[in-house]
Amino acid sequence: MSVAFIPHELQGNILRGYRRSMVRYLLLEVADRQAARIWLGAIAAREGADGLSITTESAWSSKPDFCFNVGLTFEGLRALGVAPDSLQTFPTEFVEGMTARAAKLGDFGPSDPQTWPAPFDEPARLHIIASIYADDEPHLDQVQAHIAAAGGGRALRIRGTREGRNFNGDVVHFGYRDNISQPRFAVIHDRPEISEPMAPLGTVLLGHETSFEGLFWRVPQPDPLGLNGCFNAFRILAQDVAAFETYLDQAAEELLVHRLTEHVLKPGDEAKFGQGISRLAALREIVAAHMCGRWRNGVPLALSPDTPNPQSPVSLTDFDYTAQSGCPVGAHVRRSNPRGGKIVQRIENHTRRLVRRGIPYGGPYDPTRPDDEERGLLGNFLGANLGTQFEAISCDWLNLGLQDPQITGSNDPLLGANEPATSWFDMSLLNGASIRLRGFPRFVRTRGGAYTFLPSIPALRYLATLTG
Amino acid sequence: MPDNPIAVQLVDAVLSDFPDHQPGTRPVHTIGIGVQGYFEASEVARNYTIAAHFQGQRVPVTVRFSNGTGSPVEHDGWSDVRGMATRFHLGDDVATDLIAMTLAEFFAPSVDAFLQFSRAARPARQQRESPWQKILDMLCLKQPLPDPMPGQMASGAAGMLAFANQHRFAQMAVFQAGSIGAPVSYVRAAYHAVHTFILTGPDHVRRPVRFSWEPIAGVRTTDPTAPPVDCYLHQELKDRLQRQPATFRLVMSIGEIGDAYADPTRQWPGKRCRVFMGTLTLTTVPEDQEIFCEKISFNPCRLTPGIDISDDPILQARRDAYEVSRLRRGGQSCPFAAG
Amino acid sequence: MESEATWFDRLVDALPNTRLFQFIAEWILVPYWAARTPVKPQPGGPRMAPQPSENLQHMMNLIMPLKDKSPIGRAKAALAIAQNVDEIYAGLNNVGTVHFARFVLVDGNLCMFSVYDGDFSNYIRDFIATIGSVFNAIVALIEDGDAVIPCEHHVEAFIDWVHARDLYQVPDLATDLLAQHNAAASGDDLRLLPRDLILQLHANPNVSLGSGYRGYPAFSVAQIRQKLGVGW
Ligand code: HEM
Ligand code: HEM
Repeated sequence: MSVAFIPHELQGNILRGYRRSMVRYLLLEVADRQAARIWLGAIAAREGADGLSITTESAWSSKPDFCFNVGLTFEGLRALGVAPDSLQTFPTEFVEGMTARAAKLGDFGPSDPQTWPAPFDEPARLHIIASIYADDEPHLDQVQAHIAAAGGGRALRIRGTREGRNFNGDVVHFGYRDNISQPRFAVIHDRPEISEPMAPLGTVLLGHETSFEGLFWRVPQPDPLGLNGCFNAFRILAQDVAAFETYLDQAAEELLVHRLTEHVLKPGDEAKFGQGISRLAALREIVAAHMCGRWRNGVPLALSPDTPNPQSPVSLTDFDYTAQSGCPVGAHVRRSNPRGGKIVQRIENHTRRLVRRGIPYGGPYDPTRPDDEERGLLGNFLGANLGTQFEAISCDWLNLGLQDPQITGSNDPLLGANEPATSWFDMSLLNGASIRLRGFPRFVRTRGGAYTFLPSIPALRYLATLTG
Repeated sequence: MPDNPIAVQLVDAVLSDFPDHQPGTRPVHTIGIGVQGYFEASEVARNYTIAAHFQGQRVPVTVRFSNGTGSPVEHDGWSDVRGMATRFHLGDDVATDLIAMTLAEFFAPSVDAFLQFSRAARPARQQRESPWQKILDMLCLKQPLPDPMPGQMASGAAGMLAFANQHRFAQMAVFQAGSIGAPVSYVRAAYHAVHTFILTGPDHVRRPVRFSWEPIAGVRTTDPTAPPVDCYLHQELKDRLQRQPATFRLVMSIGEIGDAYADPTRQWPGKRCRVFMGTLTLTTVPEDQEIFCEKISFNPCRLTPGIDISDDPILQARRDAYEVSRLRRGGQSCPFAAG
Repeated sequence: MESEATWFDRLVDALPNTRLFQFIAEWILVPYWAARTPVKPQPGGPRMAPQPSENLQHMMNLIMPLKDKSPIGRAKAALAIAQNVDEIYAGLNNVGTVHFARFVLVDGNLCMFSVYDGDFSNYIRDFIATIGSVFNAIVALIEDGDAVIPCEHHVEAFIDWVHARDLYQVPDLATDLLAQHNAAASGDDLRLLPRDLILQLHANPNVSLGSGYRGYPAFSVAQIRQKLGVGW
């Protein structure tokens, strides 16, 4: 059943991160179906439409000035004229769209799709999400201008844009280093520093062997449309940095006087956190690390439970979870990928891997000058099956905590649907005991998003041939 | 405060729904009976609250059961909401109350909405729906209007229904009130305290909770097709307690994110964590009903450390409304005032 | 009150219990109103909700009409289950989130009733992964089942198929039925609640009345096993 893997037939943003400092997302509506189809055919060609072509998985001889990819929503496929019997072969969650899946994704209250700003308030008119990756604004503008002019300006309507920028390498709001763990694929060799179990290609690409023994996902039909495609959950996740930092203060104050405080941080060990750092400041870092599962510099708690600066360097990715792990069961990274650790649903270990591509939006928060600017993460969560990967993680693991009885009934401390009255999270202490933190609000709010299909290059060509 | 204008307005609003109200009596839940007994908290109750009556020792209680109406005429057999107000005597003039009723939810989520509701619920001349109209209803597969109780001239039922059709928040309470019936005994009904309260545990954890009393003898209503009897609830209770005590279980649900903490019109489903908080045993109907029934004044906000009110605006408004009502009818002064 | 009930009042009050009215209601009124005010058949199974306890101890009421409803056909179904008991029990342990599960034959239907924690799709998918072969043997006996087996190769379609046969769960609060049928914030008539229910049952003859009682709500299988000291 597995199909051949041909790099130049694959969109390039699936298996690798481009590591550009800026990304702009264009939220497009198909205005003229025929013109839009012709444009898709043109960007699928290697020489592209007036030089604009999809960045593929082919190796680069020299780094291009910008990269460019597209994703299509279900409404987009329909708008382009994909036949009903073909549309029917797409999975239900994609057909229904992200807003219809709100309850599963924790999108209620302040994250309710009803509160999303334009153009996400009209999901039926969101057809294509084009992403442009570059290191400077002129290149972003250049591609945007090109798209605005597609088909003599008739093909597509730009209904909105979202732009993200790195402000400090891989550091995201809340101050963590991100973009460390990714699934590793046998066919790709670009990140030798990642040492994690190999994931089968079917984790992200349709038509390949999946991580469930003997299970295959349905390839949307006809084959040229579906094969080597990938699904993406595009999410705009606003982060309340001020609330997060305030909560760290509050929790650190509590820990300072907690009867188990010496098991949180051995008196005298403050120096491990940096020269002259106060006990309170060190405790803040411990709380932040426990909530995430990594110290803010990326060092995993599983390998370095007591300090972000272990004496001999530890691998950032080569670890697993045991009953004695220094990483709390409820920490964000352990919830979203329990690796080989013991979980309730035994057969799910390693089956819900996500490829993550994210970039922060909004400037860094300056605690000395608080502002109301919205900031957060433009996140892409890629996988061959949204229901098995993105949704499954969101509803049973990030929220609810079904994977381990010790956390069932609680939500992810970093991004779960929390409220102070009922939230709780257990830190795991050096002596094996735990301290329950409470009273934290929801730090991350959804402000938009869509499920998209990232078609292969042949699929774009197929779409270009549609008529009617 | 007794001069709180909103409290006065609320009491007047309640009064306006019962034109035959007698001064010197309660504006609603006018007819009742006082009972005595004790409460024993379960072995787990103290894990959830430091409140004195939940520590496991036997706490003397006074309970007043009542019919919901503010009319001075007793119609035990009519379909109506019933009340169960419980006072836990914590010693030395210190007490805490828990007021409950047979509806699991209230009619309005805010003071303004309640004022509108009580305007809508003013009694209007009630007629039996004409047979022709009933046939029309049936052809529409629509429920015919309930017939008035024998001898009932006026009722707020139609106004309440019209209000509920305009305001979804009132629907569940109006729907339930419409079919609630009459209990065979005051101790054969389940009573709900409706509002959210905040418990504080020995570990300082604060939890949003709701309480209900469930009769150990089981819930049972009279046969709705049999002609209603006007006076039986008081004698039934006296006779019953002479034979044996009556018991209730105090059931508590713990709220979760997304639950209506501040909205008494929304019931919490039975899927919330359910804790058995203790058993109430009722033993005697005291002779002196003037003290234990007529004069006694309950207040839903008479609480004790370990249990607090929530942000529910109805619960908060009831505090002063009940005080205004007490003063008007010369009820027993409350431990708040006594200090 | 104005007047005592007249003979006509009494006659009309008794009308709903007469054969004649019941006949008219079933053959004329219900079809008429079903055509005039159609209700959408509601999706089956529980709905996800913000509250963690809403997402634990979900109930599945799967009704699957047998292809062969004769005693022989039903015996085949019984046999298919009996022959796979080991697989099923080991599979249930493996899935880890199932409180109770049982098969029942009702008339020509094979029914599977279970109580499980978490999301429906995840539950079914895990089942496909562990005991897909048993599902294949069972679903082969069910009407319209052939299109979705082997389930390992039709995972999405199989999950949708099961979902479509999981009974609609009428809301626990009666008035929520009105809200479900009429998204507008007001303007619905409480007295039409019976009609709503009738029409919903007309569209969906089998339903689960509410989401059921739970003796120990808000706890997962693993939490209970852990508390009881029997491992998870
Ligand atoms: C604003 C929201 C979010 C923030 C701030 C955030 C932050 C982080 C950080 C700091 C890491 C560790 C870096 C790494 O391992 O690469 C991480 C890892 C991860 N996150 Fe998130 N995250 C967010 C949203 C999400 C969402 C919505 C999901 C999934 C639905 C998710 C899934 C993951 C996964 C799968 C990992 C890797 C875990 C591993 O493989 O060990 N994250 N996240
Ligand atoms: C805005 C809403 C409400 C108002 C204005 C109101 C008003 C009153 C007043 C004025 C009294 C008489 C108090 C006295 O004179 O001692 C009373 C009694 C009572 N109310 Fe309410 N009430 C409200 C809501 C509720 C709710 C939600 C419940 C049920 C949980 C309830 C249950 C009772 C009961 C059981 C009594 C009788 C207490 C006794 O036996 O002394 N009421 N109410």
